[in-house]
Amino acid sequence: MSRAIFLGLLIFFLLLASLVTLHGAILALTIPLFLYLFYGLWRGPENVKFRVHRELSAERVAPQTPVKVTLTVTNLGTDIEELSVEDVISPALNITDGSNRHLISLGKDASFTFDYTVSGPRGGFPFETIHTEAGDHFGLSRVTQDIRTFGQLFVFPSIARIKRVPIRPRRTRVYSGTIPARAGGVGVEFFGVRDYESGDSPRQINWHVSARYPDELFSSEYQQERVADVGIVLDGRERSNLFAGGHTLFEHSVLAAGALADALLAQGNRVGLLVYSAYLHWTFPGYGKLQRERILHALSHAEPGASQIFEGLQYLPTRMFPIESQIVLVSPLLQDDFPTLVQLRARGYQVMVVSPDPVAFEQSYLPRRHEVELAARVVRMERDLMLKKVQRAGVQVIEWNVEQPFDQATRKAFARRVQMTGRV
Amino acid sequence: MTLFALLLSVAMGIGSLAWGYAQAGLMSFARWIVIFGALWLIAIWRRWRWFSYVGLAFNFLAAALGLWMLDFAPGWMFAGAIGGLLAWDLTDFRYRLRFAASDEERHAVETRHLRRISLLALVGFGLASLAMIIKFQFNFEWALLLTIVSALGIIQLVNWFRKRTY
Repeated sequence: MSRAIFLGLLIFFLLLASLVTLHGAILALTIPLFLYLFYGLWRGPENVKFRVHRELSAERVAPQTPVKVTLTVTNLGTDIEELSVEDVISPALNITDGSNRHLISLGKDASFTFDYTVSGPRGGFPFETIHTEAGDHFGLSRVTQDIRTFGQLFVFPSIARIKRVPIRPRRTRVYSGTIPARAGGVGVEFFGVRDYESGDSPRQINWHVSARYPDELFSSEYQQERVADVGIVLDGRERSNLFAGGHTLFEHSVLAAGALADALLAQGNRVGLLVYSAYLHWTFPGYGKLQRERILHALSHAEPGASQIFEGLQYLPTRMFPIESQIVLVSPLLQDDFPTLVQLRARGYQVMVVSPDPVAFEQSYLPRRHEVELAARVVRMERDLMLKKVQRAGVQVIEWNVEQPFDQATRKAFARRVQMTGRV
Repeated sequence: MTLFALLLSVAMGIGSLAWGYAQAGLMSFARWIVIFGALWLIAIWRRWRWFSYVGLAFNFLAAALGLWMLDFAPGWMFAGAIGGLLAWDLTDFRYRLRFAASDEERHAVETRHLRRISLLALVGFGLASLAMIIKFQFNFEWALLLTIVSALGIIQLVNWFRKRTY
């Protein structure tokens, strides 16, 4: 019940009592209540109108980076005796300095500026509402307003820099890049020998072969290097990412996906991102810095989720990825994911799995007991067996112990891969 | 500061009423009033804001009862009622103070509020006492006029209040 109505009812009751009893003292008792009510309503806000301006010191930051928010409220209406202003922020954000709400008295055309500092985890946080409550000193009449504003803070995952991700899809695009295209032409790597054609540079002539045939000349061909289509699939299924006690590998998977996307885009490739979670979130493939930004936005909003449909990887929409392109799956991997990986390979995709190690991760926070060690050994054997099967199916597997930074952990694995593919 | 003022107003309201009843020899009534006061203090501690409404109604009804049926000294009864009003106001004010960001901000708002409410309580007490001193014959015509004026006044107030809060 409103305070003013309650007071009014009390006054009315006392008036009635004084009339019934014809007792003047009871009537006199209503005087303080009348005064209180009149003063409160008289001084209450009449025309409530504000102009607000918010400024964020940064709109794109790394997790837990402090961001200063400055808010200015200008009163365009009449004097307000008591004004509470609250800049409504996401509960996930942490206020590290200052306060997002204030209680002030604001005269006509006066302004009030305050600032506070927030930091938060990965995600996109809207700053859209400023809640104001204007009233008199006694709180009898309150005018509440939610002022809509525009503002957003993006907390992107901290991305490790990887120099090169060695991929070798069967099909490449026409633009020159860094991926061996299995076709002769201009390049660095030796590809083969063909008949000399007029216009070939003398430096291209393969003298060793030509020496065996006195009447003919042969030219060396080099492997063309082009860009490729790469689809990064981020596994956000709860059943593969969440562990007992609320521990999750998903944040690590996001970091890995971000680092891979960054490196692959830097190599000039056309990269798309699919977040496979409670629903599918597809970032259409693209090139360059703009695409990097799009992928970072998608990653900042990515959340693990559970869904009956996307419980397994069998509903991975392969049509989204060009035929014979490269698929990079970032997933802790489950036993029943193996058939899907085999199917992808059968369809001609080149598949790389970057797998944050769930066994080491779970072991890291469990007590060091004999039973835990034994269980970990059994699970480790099962996982190793599965990974071997996956590798035997022609899938490149990179296992990542998340205790190590991603760039360090993958440096060795990617270097080995470079040697295998003959690149330096 | 607000908490201190709140406790003081509860003590003043309850103490005045209890003292008034005790002076008239109604010790059991006074005891019940003190028990109610203790309950109010517990409500403040537990932050039961709704209890202040009960407290306000209780104080005014106890004061009205004392003035009407038992013909007590009006000074204690008025003090009791005003103490209840102050406590009711400060309970809500204390809740609104949660928005204050810093001690300076809180102090500024508290000072302003306490100054106004104290002044209002004094004026209210003064006017009520004055009304008791300047007594007039409270006959039927006065009563009728008062009824009409009060009813119109309250209707006007409610309308006014509704228009201003949206």
